[in-house]
Amino acid sequence: MVREGRRYAPAQQLRPFAFSEGAKEAALGLVLTLPPMIMLVLLVVVPAVEALLFSLGLVPKDNVVFSTGLHLVSSPTPTLKVYRDLFASHFFVDDLVLTFSVTFATVALTVVISYVLALYVRFSSGTLPEIMRSLYLIPMFVPVVIASYALITFYVDHGLLQSLLVQVGLGYGSPIYAQSGVILGEVWTQIPFAVLMIGSGLDGLPQELVEAAQDVGAGFFSIIWRIVFPLNLVPVLIVATFSFIGVMGSFTVPYLIGPNAPQMLGVAMNAYFGTYQQPQPAVAIAVLTFVFASVAGAIYVWATSRSGRVA
Amino acid sequence: MRLTRRALLGALAIGTGALAVACSSGAATPTAAPASQPTTAPAPTTAPAATSAPAATTAPAPTTAAAAPTTAPAATAAPAASGPVTLNFYSGGDTNVHDLWANDLFPAYKKVKPDVTFNLVFAEHGNGDQTTLDRVAAAQKAGKPSGVDIWETGLLQQGGEANLIQKVTPQEISNLSNVDPNVLAQMGGYGVPYRGSSVVLAYNSKDVTNPPKSLDDLLTWIKQNPGKFTYNPPDTGGSGDGFVSHVLLKGIKPGDKQLFQTGYDASKEGEWDVGFGILKDLGPSIYNKGFYPKGNVGVLQTLGKGSISVAPVWSDMGLSYLAQNLLPPEVKLMQLDPPFSGGASYVGVVADSQNKPADYEFLNWLLTPDPQAIIVQQMNGFPGVEWKYMSDTVQQKFASIAKTYDTFAFSSKFSSDKNKQWYEKVAGTPQPSN
Repeated sequence: MVREGRRYAPAQQLRPFAFSEGAKEAALGLVLTLPPMIMLVLLVVVPAVEALLFSLGLVPKDNVVFSTGLHLVSSPTPTLKVYRDLFASHFFVDDLVLTFSVTFATVALTVVISYVLALYVRFSSGTLPEIMRSLYLIPMFVPVVIASYALITFYVDHGLLQSLLVQVGLGYGSPIYAQSGVILGEVWTQIPFAVLMIGSGLDGLPQELVEAAQDVGAGFFSIIWRIVFPLNLVPVLIVATFSFIGVMGSFTVPYLIGPNAPQMLGVAMNAYFGTYQQPQPAVAIAVLTFVFASVAGAIYVWATSRSGRVA
Repeated sequence: MRLTRRALLGALAIGTGALAVACSSGAATPTAAPASQPTTAPAPTTAPAATSAPAATTAPAPTTAAAAPTTAPAATAAPAASGPVTLNFYSGGDTNVHDLWANDLFPAYKKVKPDVTFNLVFAEHGNGDQTTLDRVAAAQKAGKPSGVDIWETGLLQQGGEANLIQKVTPQEISNLSNVDPNVLAQMGGYGVPYRGSSVVLAYNSKDVTNPPKSLDDLLTWIKQNPGKFTYNPPDTGGSGDGFVSHVLLKGIKPGDKQLFQTGYDASKEGEWDVGFGILKDLGPSIYNKGFYPKGNVGVLQTLGKGSISVAPVWSDMGLSYLAQNLLPPEVKLMQLDPPFSGGASYVGVVADSQNKPADYEFLNWLLTPDPQAIIVQQMNGFPGVEWKYMSDTVQQKFASIAKTYDTFAFSSKFSSDKNKQWYEKVAGTPQPSN
């Protein structure tokens, strides 16, 4: 917060004598952002709108991939039949339930584990925290596909973990190819970003506050609960929303580690589009995913703007 | 000020989130596009391809020009074998297919026919097949030779229906009479099936002394030995698909069998209920209380680890895994009676080839016992000719699977619906552990 104040200071000094130049600069900035904006409109916005219309039953005749799909709902006026059919099918509702339970469980576990890790690294010194500092970054540098296969090899039945447990006479139920395995994989991939984010928030925490609290006799948990946590709420919300969006739309981990059915939305989308040759429900699922992600995005905006007001 | 910047940043973040989602849905497009292509692509797609492809004719011109000098004299100098000939051989597949041609079959033919040289144009995994088809179509439109003589591809029937591929009969290639007529018919008669593979049953003889001999026996065995059998979801590989298709076939009326192979009528899908009922009922008896590993390889690995004792596998993959010790030596392969489905790899003659006599001579040689033995040896595959034309040693070695295979397979649209219903009705049923 202190750092931000410093960042804005020079800009305020410049403003009085740079008004016209500022306008020019703004125009230049607009021109410079134009190419990516055009790309965004052509490659994302236009197809997204077309996809939305398609999911409402307006089938474009010139799009062969869309118009040759099986079991098309085609109507001259927009209809919600595709969505109604999806929600009427147990098959899809199971997918939805799985997606949300995996997503919420992953977000909760990620936040808790990352917070503990970040606190540990922030408030202790020595060789072990230094080692931890590099250890929690490892998942960032391992491609998800390889990590997923590594997790499978380790946790699958007749795998490494089970053969170790058998040595000491313990039984084992594998989480692989089940919901718990997907959560395991998702948490694994989310941790580096989460710890970095929460950790940088903790690093910005004024040490004086903590020491002052210690001086008046506050215990560890009371410092965490009454000082650290409230001051570090925004990074936590950012982590929660980002991992929510990331996990909900994820493909590789649930595709490789998940059960055959139900499937998470990313895997289901792919299956509808490719395997079942039904692009329309696939697109409808994409629209739904977008809506869910926007809710998370709105929470993020609310959180960050609120923190701006407080600061 | 700061607030609006924050809000702007936030809006940007939503934008990126949205982008990420849009990308993830967009990313499905390229992967799915080729999957949907074959279904939409009987004759109609080749026609527009031909019209839109004149640019393609100019691109490959150098290669056709290079081929022209050799092809021109051969064409004027009447039948084959009278002078040196270079045949442009287009093929695709995995590296083992490349090695089969380049290291084994071509050198073997060189000993028989020293005058014939091959120019092998190989695209891995058949990535160049559509381009080659476009090229042949464009050449035909332009009235010029395409420079492609022999072509190994799955597109032969599609090309043949557009008059781009020559139909082959025992008249030109006498050894074709040694080929199972059903296998020949599977590609519409437009290609020579020179090797094949079939879904067979693999079993671990250590656990199973008396393996099931028919599909019904197998279904009973699975229920009696819970957790010891699995197959891959039908969309992820032909071995699981072969098993599912043959169980579904139980409910299909004989009169509708042809429709299910070549046509599409969603109202007939009720005939699958019997089969899906059987498969769903098997669920709790499947490995891990109902887990179906992804892909042919996933099943082989599960079998290799000893987690299961019986599974449907591709014959060539099973034999290769055995040869590489990826499966324990106790694993045996056998064909059920009636057999699972299989398929062949076909080589065809391009209609405008300037060296047809030489093409036919080579393809006829390909179906003789010596090259067939090389193929069986190198690819662990089925021969293109019927097993009875193979040598006794080869027949003995493959005795348990050396039977003809079934050629039943669902049409592409039926297959898509079947895959969805499998996930819905078989995998999607609530299973205790998952």
